[in-house]
Amino acid sequence: MGNFALIISSDMQNRAKIYTVSQVNSLIKEVLENNLPSRLTVTGEVTNWTIARSGHAYFDLKDENALLPCVCWRSSLSKIKFEPENGLAVIAKGHIEVYSPHGKYQFYADSMQPAGIGALQLAFEQMVKRLREQGLFDDAHKKPLPQYPQRIGILTSESGAAVHDITDSIHNRWPPARLFLYPVPVQGEGAAEQIAVAIRDINKRNKELKLDVLIVGRGGGSLEDLWAFNEEVLARAIFDSKIPIISAVGHEIDTTIADLVADARASTPTKAGVVAVPDMQEVLENIENLNKRLTSQLSFVLYSAEQQSDELSIRLENSVKHLLADTRNRLYAVAEQIRKIEPHRLLAMKTVGLNNLHNRADLLVRNILNNSQKQLMGVEKQLPEMMKEMLIKKRWRMSLSFQKVMGIKPRQVISQRIVELSNLRNRTSLGIGVVLNKQRMRLTGIENRLAGLNPKAVLKRGYSITINKKTGSLVRCPKDVQIGELLNTELADEKYIESKVTKK
Amino acid sequence: MANTKKKDDISKLSFEDAIKELSSIVGKIEQGEIPLQDSLTQYERGMALIKHCQTILKKAEMRIEKISESEAKTQQETEDIPF
Repeated sequence: MGNFALIISSDMQNRAKIYTVSQVNSLIKEVLENNLPSRLTVTGEVTNWTIARSGHAYFDLKDENALLPCVCWRSSLSKIKFEPENGLAVIAKGHIEVYSPHGKYQFYADSMQPAGIGALQLAFEQMVKRLREQGLFDDAHKKPLPQYPQRIGILTSESGAAVHDITDSIHNRWPPARLFLYPVPVQGEGAAEQIAVAIRDINKRNKELKLDVLIVGRGGGSLEDLWAFNEEVLARAIFDSKIPIISAVGHEIDTTIADLVADARASTPTKAGVVAVPDMQEVLENIENLNKRLTSQLSFVLYSAEQQSDELSIRLENSVKHLLADTRNRLYAVAEQIRKIEPHRLLAMKTVGLNNLHNRADLLVRNILNNSQKQLMGVEKQLPEMMKEMLIKKRWRMSLSFQKVMGIKPRQVISQRIVELSNLRNRTSLGIGVVLNKQRMRLTGIENRLAGLNPKAVLKRGYSITINKKTGSLVRCPKDVQIGELLNTELADEKYIESKVTKK
Repeated sequence: MANTKKKDDISKLSFEDAIKELSSIVGKIEQGEIPLQDSLTQYERGMALIKHCQTILKKAEMRIEKISESEAKTQQETEDIPF
């Protein structure tokens, strides 16, 4: 103030003094800068926000009535975690300078903070918005976690408590997992970059490392402590990873960018095991269950095979019975027909007719007998063979399987089945044998009875057939012959005598 | 020969693949999709798979190995040499 007064008074003294533009601006600069506090804290709304090619930011801060031109140098801008944008209310710290070349005074902000919420919170929200728009959190990009991981990579600080929380939570549930720790810093300058490099490094070497899944995490802390897990460089590395990644950062309530972009999230390091690995007890139960199902299924398969072979043998038995019954019926029918032809009527018939009939009946009976005999013999021969073959085959398979399975578990079931099966075989072949015998005996009876009914059998009872030797006709009355003619008489057993007619 | 080969086969399976195959075998047998003779072979394989799974589960070492970063860097350098 004193200076200002001095200048005015000296101006009054040197009325004629003429200033150059530079001198004026220089005067203003001197007066302004000397009379303002060296540092100011200004609050206002950001407007006209522009980042020049040089990386410096030019903008204005405004309120309802006024506008203040502002500059933020590149070096200061890089230290600001959030991204200033138009309309954002901020608290900026810096100083006023006059920029003489433009005759303009400006506020040079060297730090800025969002008014209202914290800078980190705002930065977090802005990053979430941006990365979400880029699709980094989309479910479509989430890789499925392996169900039974055997090699698990853990990226965390070697010295923190989190490493024990994570490894214990895994080993308690799933002891067969092999754990590989990749030590990384989890807070402070450059931590995010180093974790990102580690993730890319593991991905590059995974042919040899063979990790099924990665867990990235750290214990709880302030927003600043967790900040590494909110940085874009780490988010990109997690997104790019070919190996599924589980994030396990901070406490339940903390959500980081890493949580959002990771394929799965454990709310705390102690929950990592629940997310990453199955429960050994459940897996063992599952295997036991599969074991039971497999074994009972095998018994079932064997049982149904037996049932099938049972059914088959019943069907065979039935078809043999049918065949025999059929044959028997046909024989009865023929026998009945033959019985109807009375012997004395036969004798009364013409010789030719009789002979024909004889021959036909003979042939018929013989054919039927032959066929039946053949059929029966065939059946007799083939069926037991077939049965035997089938049963041998079955038994061979069973005993083969039996040997194989002996070494394992359900040998009791199988041996029991095999005993039952061979019983079945005995029963079946016995059954067929009985049927065959019975039918064979029946057939012999019929054969005997048929033999008794042979028309020529009457010859055995003393009847004879007499034929005129000259005419060849049957001699039924005296006029069929002349005195002196020769007669042929058929007696039993196809014996013939010849005689001469001497009287009639 | 064929048998040993099959067993080698199984011992190379990951736990996940073994469980998957085991479940599919049980499912197929239960659906009656396999003839008798095959179901015995499948049963045998199923049992071998169960044994394999149990072996894996028993192999728990509870050990934590360390991946060294320096190794990675050396490797990266060696990989980069051709260029």
